Amino acid sequence: MTEEKFFERLRDDARSLRYEGDDFLAARLAARVRDRITRPPTVAQFLAAWARPLAASLAALVLSVTLSLTWTQRHQDSNETIASNPIDIAMAGELYGVGD
Amino acid sequence: MSVLLLEGSGLAAALPGSEWERLTQDDPFEGRAIEAVRRGDPASYDYLVSKYSKRVVSIAWGIVRNAHDAEDLAQEAFVKAFQSIGRFKEGEPFGPWIYRIVTNLALDVVKHRSRFRHEELSEMEPAARRDDAELGAVTSELASRIDRALESLPENQRVVARLYLVEQFDHGEIASMMNLSEGTVRSHLSLARKKLKEQLADLYGGSDD
Repeated sequence: MTEEKFFERLRDDARSLRYEGDDFLAARLAARVRDRITRPPTVAQFLAAWARPLAASLAALVLSVTLSLTWTQRHQDSNETIASNPIDIAMAGELYGVGD
Repeated sequence: MSVLLLEGSGLAAALPGSEWERLTQDDPFEGRAIEAVRRGDPASYDYLVSKYSKRVVSIAWGIVRNAHDAEDLAQEAFVKAFQSIGRFKEGEPFGPWIYRIVTNLALDVVKHRSRFRHEELSEMEPAARRDDAELGAVTSELASRIDRALESLPENQRVVARLYLVEQFDHGEIASMMNLSEGTVRSHLSLARKKLKEQLADLYGGSDD
């Protein structure tokens, strides 16, 4: 028997291996699907849909404000450091002061 | 999964003249049911679930080999399809879409199982890596032999061979469902055919009838 012919016969015989389930399979599955698609969203689903993105946005906002404040604070500190430590620079015989 | 669902909408164009397409064209109720669901009538979805449920569960069962998992996967596939029905193109067959969704969900389950069980089971035969098969559908010795031979195949060959031999899909349909090229499907089938012929030689070999 050629491989092609073998496979054709095997295909005919293997059809009976298809899973049929019980008599109530279609009705049971339809009921389960109907329950899922018509059920109003639970509190957890509502939170997952709205609260999480909201929390993520708030977290991003808080992070950016924190970073801005930190940067501003550091910039201010650096200016104060220069102001509180005057430096004299001698150039071409002249003396210049920085931070006075 | 959203990519999968979106891609499903172009499936019919890839399968001109297929059995799926003919079946849908022969069933005007299917198109009407899809339109009704899209207009916000979930009750019309019952028609689609009832029409395809047995086949969808059978496809899932062939891959995961567990009746409870197969029903859960079928339910999940129908819910996902419902949630994305707005993206479904008018006039397209529902069958290829839902078959593709359930096949991918079932393959994910098999991959998930093998990831967790790989170390302890890596030395075992392929058939032993799966859960106990529920052989309710196997009614004869011949069918039982074929089932065992199919289960002894490596994973990809097993799934492709089941879809071809048991579910009776053609190469193009299997390629779409498994996100493989037709060449890859033919290659898996060719390897599976050789192994199956060896294992079932006493049943099919020898004579030229």
